[in-house]
Amino acid sequence: MKNLSTILATLVLVFAFMNSASAEDWKVSATAKKKLNPYELSKKNISTGKKVYQTNCKSCHGDPTKANMLPLVPAPADLGSQNFLVQSDGEIYHKVKVGKGAMPTFEKTLNDESKWMVIAYLRSFDKNKKKAVVTKAVVNPEVSDVKIELDIDSEHKKLKAHLTGLKKDGKRAGLEGIELSFLIKRAFGQLDISGEEAYTDAKGELLIQFPTDLPGDREGQVDLTIKITDEDEYGVIEEKRVLSIAVPTNPKNPLDERAMWGTRANAPIWIIASYLLGVIGIWSVIFLVLFQVFQLSKMRTKS
Amino acid sequence: MTQKTSDKSRRNFLKSFGVTVGAAGVVSSFSLLSAAKAAAKEPGETVNLLTADGQLVQVDKNQLRPTVNEPLDELQQRGREGIAGKSFVMVIDLSKCRNARKCMSACQNHHQLRADQHHINVLQMQDADHTAPYFMPKPCQHCDNPPCTKVCPVDATFKRQDGIVLIDNERCIGCRFCIAACPYSARIFQWTEPKDAEKYKDLTYNIEANVPQKKGTVSKCLFSADRLREDKLPSCVSACPNGVYYFGDRNEDAVTNGTSGETVRFSKLIEENAGYTLMEELGTKPRVYYLPPKNRAFEFNGDLLNEENLH
Repeated sequence: MKNLSTILATLVLVFAFMNSASAEDWKVSATAKKKLNPYELSKKNISTGKKVYQTNCKSCHGDPTKANMLPLVPAPADLGSQNFLVQSDGEIYHKVKVGKGAMPTFEKTLNDESKWMVIAYLRSFDKNKKKAVVTKAVVNPEVSDVKIELDIDSEHKKLKAHLTGLKKDGKRAGLEGIELSFLIKRAFGQLDISGEEAYTDAKGELLIQFPTDLPGDREGQVDLTIKITDEDEYGVIEEKRVLSIAVPTNPKNPLDERAMWGTRANAPIWIIASYLLGVIGIWSVIFLVLFQVFQLSKMRTKS
Repeated sequence: MTQKTSDKSRRNFLKSFGVTVGAAGVVSSFSLLSAAKAAAKEPGETVNLLTADGQLVQVDKNQLRPTVNEPLDELQQRGREGIAGKSFVMVIDLSKCRNARKCMSACQNHHQLRADQHHINVLQMQDADHTAPYFMPKPCQHCDNPPCTKVCPVDATFKRQDGIVLIDNERCIGCRFCIAACPYSARIFQWTEPKDAEKYKDLTYNIEANVPQKKGTVSKCLFSADRLREDKLPSCVSACPNGVYYFGDRNEDAVTNGTSGETVRFSKLIEENAGYTLMEELGTKPRVYYLPPKNRAFEFNGDLLNEENLH
């Protein structure tokens, strides 16, 4: 047993060494290294980057700084660690773009903007550059009991969400600059209708245009969930509603119509009619012939 | 005085209760023992299973039972009727497909098919001499004007209200007219005894999954109709690692990507990416839509056997 663990430990060390060695091999040209992130480290860009990160990077790299990456060999880097973040923006950009080994290329899967947003998100973990983040960030008062209230303007199909929290002095205050998701329940997932800039304003309010052509059920009802997109700050805050502002849709049952492709019960009338006429016609001819033959023999016996 | 008696009776009750429980314990442990002995007597084949909490356990194969509990009549009836109010569609994004073939293996697992039998097949396509080749997954198109159901002499293959075209292997006589009628070559015939026929011989036939497969009948893609009943995406859709498949309800105008879980408007997806259907000139009205292989995320050198293309 002890032997086994020694062997395992040695293997792990060897792989770790190989990993670091291959990381060194990953050469990036000097011009590529010099590239700078054209997008500022604003709160909005970081949260956009976080979304891109979670759909494209998290499955292998895990959460930044948490070191919960997939146990692959070589192990995916913890993208929030200082060891990783010593690289320049251009270096990270190049690696995301080109990929290597198990790391796929994101040249075409992610557009330039998304790639830079991810880098902005990763930079927010960089202890040496944290100041840049704070410059644009909005500071909300410390609050508890965060709530989302919803006003519905059925005529213009507009939804107004109001995000508030209870301050320490007992008053409710609107929370600014928080991203909200408006999700409509569909058969296999949630349709996001919040659009690009779904951040609350200074009063904590956010106005959303409900899509005018989105189908609902027979009565035009849909299930709506509003929630704070980033669950890290206030936990899971969501509000569920049934709205009656979608387009009422009557599902068409293809079996209501008679069609060529239908089974026996759904065959078109003209097919059934012509089939029956054909069968009756043919059999009547046969019967007629038999009848005549019978008559012939009868005539013979008479004469 | 009354208190005393009641106390006594309670003690009596506890005593008798203890005896009963103890006896029950002994009996049950005996029965457990005998069961264990019986199991030890016939050491059957064991299989490794992963429990819900991630533990690997060894289970005797004889103790495993198939999961279908509904009687045949009920399965047949609900399979014929379909799911009310739905209209299922699939969108296949050819620019993402890099021939991972996970859809095919997931499908073959689900429908008990051999590796050479395809409900869904990833084809290598090249439209003309100087056009770029691409990979194209091809399931049954679940046409709204299906040529296959028109030719079936025994009403075995049919279309349901949610748009899915199914085949009832209990009715199928194996004439293969439908295979000849299908312009997409979406159907297969079970020429020999199907895979694991012996293993699944006691399983109730499920028309929504075509399992167990039957020798001498036709089998085809079913959009995993049994999974749709549980609000799950079809096997191929959820198995794809590259985000190729979208699946959803046309009545709701929404389709969900099986890899990322992202839900988008069906009409917008088709409009913005110039979606098309296969052989629409035949008037079959397919329910499977394709997005052209534009802006591909990977190199394709046109060689199906090249290691680089088999990701």
